[in-house]
Amino acid sequence: MFTETRLTQGVRLYVRRTEQFKTLTFSIRFKQPLTAEGASERAVLANILEDSTEAYPSRAALRQALETMYGTLYYTDVGKRGGYHYLSLNAECVDDRLIRDEDIADWTIRLLADAVLRPNLQDGTFKSQVFEREKQTVLERVRSLYDDKTRYAQQRLLTLLRPEGPESIRATGEETHLEALTPEKVMEAYRRMISEDEIEIYVVGAVDEEAITTSLKEAFHFEERVPAVLPEKAVRGTGKQGRVSEKQNMKQGKLHIGFSTPVMFGTEDFPKMQLTNGIFGGFPHSKLFMNVREKESMAYYAASSYLSRYGLITVSAGIDADLADKAVKLIDEQLEAMRAGEITDTELGQTKAMLANQLREALDSSRGQIEIFDQYKDLPGGFTPEGWIAKWEPVTADDIRNMAGKIDRQLVYLLSGKEESADENA
Amino acid sequence: MKTLEYSRVNETLYHETLPNGLQVFILPKSGFSKTYVSFTTRYGSVDNTFIPLGKDEIVRVPDGIAHFLEHKMFEKEDGDVFQKFGMNGASANAFTSFTRTAYLFSATENLYPNTELLLNFVQAPYFTEETVEKEKGIIGQEITMYDDLPDWRAYFGTIENLYKEHPVKIDIAGTVESISKITADHLYECYHTFYHPSNMLVFAVGAVDPEEMMTFIRDNQAAKTFDKPERIVRQFPQEKMEAAVKEGSLEMDVSKPKVHLGIKLPALAQEGLEGLKQELSYQIMMDLLFGKTSKFYTDAYEEGLIDESFSTDFTAEEGFAFSVIGSDSAKPEELTRKIQDTLQWASEKFPFGQEDLDRQRRRRIGFFMRALNSVEYIANQFTRYAFNGMNLFDTVTALEALEVKDLQEVLVPLTDEKARTVFTVKPPANKG
Repeated sequence: MFTETRLTQGVRLYVRRTEQFKTLTFSIRFKQPLTAEGASERAVLANILEDSTEAYPSRAALRQALETMYGTLYYTDVGKRGGYHYLSLNAECVDDRLIRDEDIADWTIRLLADAVLRPNLQDGTFKSQVFEREKQTVLERVRSLYDDKTRYAQQRLLTLLRPEGPESIRATGEETHLEALTPEKVMEAYRRMISEDEIEIYVVGAVDEEAITTSLKEAFHFEERVPAVLPEKAVRGTGKQGRVSEKQNMKQGKLHIGFSTPVMFGTEDFPKMQLTNGIFGGFPHSKLFMNVREKESMAYYAASSYLSRYGLITVSAGIDADLADKAVKLIDEQLEAMRAGEITDTELGQTKAMLANQLREALDSSRGQIEIFDQYKDLPGGFTPEGWIAKWEPVTADDIRNMAGKIDRQLVYLLSGKEESADENA
Repeated sequence: MKTLEYSRVNETLYHETLPNGLQVFILPKSGFSKTYVSFTTRYGSVDNTFIPLGKDEIVRVPDGIAHFLEHKMFEKEDGDVFQKFGMNGASANAFTSFTRTAYLFSATENLYPNTELLLNFVQAPYFTEETVEKEKGIIGQEITMYDDLPDWRAYFGTIENLYKEHPVKIDIAGTVESISKITADHLYECYHTFYHPSNMLVFAVGAVDPEEMMTFIRDNQAAKTFDKPERIVRQFPQEKMEAAVKEGSLEMDVSKPKVHLGIKLPALAQEGLEGLKQELSYQIMMDLLFGKTSKFYTDAYEEGLIDESFSTDFTAEEGFAFSVIGSDSAKPEELTRKIQDTLQWASEKFPFGQEDLDRQRRRRIGFFMRALNSVEYIANQFTRYAFNGMNLFDTVTALEALEVKDLQEVLVPLTDEKARTVFTVKPPANKG
C-alpha cells in the first residue's frame, strides 16, 4: 500500500501515491512508551504545537494563514496503542492542481516543519501564557469525560479492570500530573520527543514519490535514534472481579462488562477472535444486537468491542437499570451459546462479509489508509487488505466455539441514576 | 439521462426523473472501493400536521412519528432488513432529521443486490400493532440515552425556547409519552402520504457505473405501481421573528456549565444560486464573528470563557432557520455577555471588509474540495440542498459571486436582539 523509505535509524517515511482524493494528507507521528506522566506532558505539548509557531506566533495569525491557504487543515492529536503513546501532527491541503495559483503543498510541508522544529518560544522555552492556557484546556478536556456518561463508564470499567496498566492510562493524561506541569517540564518533553522518539511520517495523495521524499528530507532533519522497547510483561495491577455499581444523577443505566482473553493482537488466533467478537456484538446482525435489542427490546444499543492490544473484550449497553440482572444474564447466554457451538453459517458468513466491507470501506479515506496501515504494518509478512481478508475466510464455526471458550467475564460495571430519578422509564 | 459536468471540481453528475416522479442522481468517483446509496424522503420531524393522502382534513400526528417510522421500516414479515444487508456484506443505516428521513447503505461488493434491497424495503411498508408496541421499548431507551447527553439537551433546550409553536422545537425522537400513542394506522397514514416516489430522491456515489445503475433503478421502479402523485399539504404555524422564551436552564450531573445562545432567523428568501449565496453568507458571517480567527474567539479563549467545546451552528431548512453558539464555560454569564457585546459591536458599524471576505471565501472553497473526498458528505448534502431547491455543486460559483454587501445583509437578522435566547445546563447547586 505504502512505499517505505528509511530516512535514518528510527525515522521512516511512508508514501501512498493515489489520485483518489482532492487533497494531500500528511501525518507525523512520535511514538514513546505510555506512562501517565508522559501522556500528560505530551497532551499539553500537542496543544502548544497546534497553537502557534515561530513564524506565526499567535493562534489567530496561524489560523488566518491556514484560512488563506484554502482552509488547509492543521491539527495535533494524542492517542495510544498497546503500551505506546502517540503524538501526531497532521495536515491536509487541497491538491494544487484544483486551485492553480498557489503552491499549497510546499507551504503545508513548511508549516509542519516549522511546527515540529521551530515552535513559538521565549527565552528558550514555551511562552508561559500559551502554556498556562493550553494546560487549562487539556485539564478541561480530561474533566469533561464526566459529562459523557457512556465514555465515563467505559473508562471506569478499564480503570477497575487494569488499574495500573496502559489500558486505563488516558492518552490525554491525568489531572494530578497535569496540575504539576511547568513550561520547563513540557519543554524537556519536547526535546526528548524530537531527539529520542521513534518517528513515522505518512503522506497520501497525488504526489510524486521521489519529489516528496526529497522535500520532506530537506524540511526535516532528524538525528538517528534507537526506538524504545517495551518491557516483556507490562504492569497491570490487581484488577477488580465480580460486580461494581456506581451512582450519578442520570436516567439511563450504563452497563459495561469486561472480559479478558489471552488472544492478543498479532497472534495466530487473532483473526479468529476478530470474527468471534463480530458474531458476539460487533454488528447489527450480532447476537447481542439481535437478542438484547431486537428480541427483548431492552436497549437501543448493545455492542461489544475487542481491545486486541490489551486482551480485553468489553460489552456496553444502555438499559433501564432495574433490568441490569436480566441484561447480564442475557449477555452471558449469548456467550454460552457460542461456547456451545451455536453459530449458524449465516452468522459466520455475514460477519466475514461485514468485516471485509468494513476494512475496504475504511480505506476509502486518506486517514483510514494511514490508520489501518499503521496498525497492521509491523505484523509478520506485512499487510495488504486482501491478504488480511483472506485470513478470515477459512475460519469455521468450530474455531469460533473454541475462541468463545477463551473469553472470561471478569467484571460487571453499572453506572446508574440515584434512586429518586431512576424510575421514570416506560 | 442527463449529464452535468462540474469541471472546476472534476466531477460528473448523472440525473434522471423517473416516470413515477423519483429523482435519481449518480456520481461515479474513481479510485473508490465502496458505493454509498441513499434513498431519502422529504419528510421529517416537523411534518406533523398535514392532509393525509386521499383525505380532505388536516390531522396532527404524535411527536416523534417520522423517526418511529424510520425504525419500523427495517422490520418485515420475513425478518430484519439489517440481516439481509449483512448477508450481502453491506452496512446499512438510516437517520431522521427535521425535514428528511434517509435510508442508506455502503458496500464494496454486491452493489445491485444491495440497491434492490434498499429500494424494495423502503417501498414495502409492514407494520403490525405487535411490532409497533415492541419498538417502543427500544426507542424509549434511545430517548433516555439522549436525555442523559448534556450537549444535546443544551442544544435542544435552546431551539425549544426560540420557537413558540413551530414543530422544529420538538425533539426529533419525541418523548416516551408521545410515542406511546403511536399506532400501526398512524404509520401507514404517514407512510402513504410522504413516501410517494415523487417526494423522494436516490443518490448513488462512489464505485458505480452510471448507465448500469440508472437502468437498474429505472427497471426496479417500472415494475412497481404507485398511486398518482398528489401535492402534499403540510401546515406550519406562523412564527414571529422573536424568541419565544428569552432564558432557560436545566440542572444535570455535569462538571461545568454549558451555555448556548440561539438566534432565530428568517428562512432563506430564495432558492437556487441566490439561496445558496445567502446560506454561505450566514456561514461566513458566523465565522467572521465567532470563528477561530475572530477577535471574539481570541479574547474569549485567552480569558478562559470558552474551551475546546466551543462551537457554532447554522441551520436553514424550508420554513425556518436558526443559529446556535455554545460552549462549556465556568463563567456562563460572562460568556453570554461577550457574545451579546460582539453582536452589538458588529451591528453598530460593519467591521469587516473585502480582505475578510476573500480569506473566508478561500477557506470555504478549500473546505468544499476536501468535503468532496467523502461520499457520505456528497450524498447527504446534495439531497438536503436538492430538497431546498439548491445544487451542492454550485457552491464554488456561489462563493465566487459573494460580495461584502451580501454579508452586510445577513448581519441584520443575526444581530436582532429580540431573536435571542440563552440556555444553560448547570451542575447541581452543591457542586462545581
